[in-house]
Amino acid sequence: MRHLCVWLLALLVTGGGAPEGDLHGTATINDTPVADAVVWLEAPGVPAPASRSKVVLDQRNLHFYPRVLVVQVGTIVEFPNHDRVFHDVFSFRDGKQFELGLYPVGAVKQVPFDRPGLSRVFCNIHPAMAAYILVVDSPYFAVTDRDGHFTLPNIAAGTFTYHAWRPGGAILNGSAAVRAGSVLDVQWR
Amino acid sequence: MTAGRWLLAGGMTAIASGAIPLQAQQSLNAEVDVSAGASTENVRAGSMQARVFGASASDWRFVAEVSMAGVDGQLSDAFNGAYPYDGQLRLIEAYGEKMFRPRQYLLGIRAGRYRTPFGISNRSDHAYTGFVRPPLIRYGKSFALSNTFLEGGADLIAGTPQLFVETSLGVPQDEGTLRRRQGLDATIRVQGYYRSLIVGASRMHSGRDRSLASFAKGRSVFNGIDARWMARGVQLRGEWLVGRPFDGVTTTGGYADLLVHHRQLGPVTLVARAERLDYVAVLSQFSLYLHRFTGGARIRLLQNLSTQINVSHQPTGLAAGRRTVLDAGITYSLRR
Repeated sequence: MRHLCVWLLALLVTGGGAPEGDLHGTATINDTPVADAVVWLEAPGVPAPASRSKVVLDQRNLHFYPRVLVVQVGTIVEFPNHDRVFHDVFSFRDGKQFELGLYPVGAVKQVPFDRPGLSRVFCNIHPAMAAYILVVDSPYFAVTDRDGHFTLPNIAAGTFTYHAWRPGGAILNGSAAVRAGSVLDVQWR
Repeated sequence: MTAGRWLLAGGMTAIASGAIPLQAQQSLNAEVDVSAGASTENVRAGSMQARVFGASASDWRFVAEVSMAGVDGQLSDAFNGAYPYDGQLRLIEAYGEKMFRPRQYLLGIRAGRYRTPFGISNRSDHAYTGFVRPPLIRYGKSFALSNTFLEGGADLIAGTPQLFVETSLGVPQDEGTLRRRQGLDATIRVQGYYRSLIVGASRMHSGRDRSLASFAKGRSVFNGIDARWMARGVQLRGEWLVGRPFDGVTTTGGYADLLVHHRQLGPVTLVARAERLDYVAVLSQFSLYLHRFTGGARIRLLQNLSTQINVSHQPTGLAAGRRTVLDAGITYSLRR
């Protein structure tokens, strides 16, 4: 019964049977493609997933992978250490604040992200390691590839408010009409 | 061999600088560190290290690192944190490794040329951490270990992340001032982990320093314990070892480090070290009884630029006869 209610609610919010399509786009700064930018659509009323999904922010070769991770509110992020050295992952500044303590190769720590916001993630042992975790209150999000391209799959037709963020940049806001073959270009200047 | 090292160094630098584009960012990374420093102990130093990390589709990972570093002035352990300062381009590490996770267990194999896994031995534990000098027990002229001990062989990890045994078998391929004789090296290390506390115990059985071959007999044997703990940006770590670099003498010593990288300190990491080394020789005039205290900081000036400043005090005097010295270095790092 609960699943049926969730399904009906989602149906109402997304336009009640409007055809779905993929929203493709490109993010640029002064016409230069931006990698690792995040684009997401507002989806008020879309409930959080019934069960917490898990997403991995890996540590290997003294780097975080991916450098930019975007998750929906309620997601648990796992931080496995795949290096033979120790890491101490922390985020003190904005968003979710945590410190995982020292842990060795093979160990995995978890952090639930329950509020929207941006967390800057570092390792206390290796100061050059850095990553971003952007938590959004929406299931519709994507990260741009090295050519600045992104795809938001299976979006119901309609008009949405979008937001875009990139490391070190301001958040852009706008409106996007989604229908078959829609294209969204996000531009920082 | 030298041409090959230069080719490797050039390739790593080109990747790190972006001159060679990476097609698969998740499987290949490169770093270059360039440093310069000076000490009131009448030492000036410059260094460059380049390294690449990569992984195959089946997650076999490889690491290669070269270093070129030199000093001018007084013979000293300043700037010898984790690399040889002999003015030559040196291949430091070059190995492949794979980790397996059958259920909750941990298995790992590493083969090639790698740092001797005794105690706190990784490059990132000693290079550019905020300390300019290596611990006394890890400097090649202290009749103990050296941070530039390298093995050519294979290393196996087996256990769980909470408790595992690491065994290395190989032959010495040391760089730097202390070079062990050829022969089989064996190192075994047990490591346990609970919350933020990591403790280890190590034993190494290997050849002695080649330069002492005229009078030193027997093999080099060391036992050590090490521990680290970290919380809220405060890290405590240390090692203690006992053993002999060759028959008839003993070396005992260790160090305790405090590293503070607290939120309120911004780009500053404060460091402090207290250490001791007792080398008891057959002839007492050759024995060493050293204490040293170091305080300092690592300051991130820009995203890729940092400086390390240390003040060290050694009551028995450092190499130039000074008891207190100031060391300062600056490091530019490229990562890609």
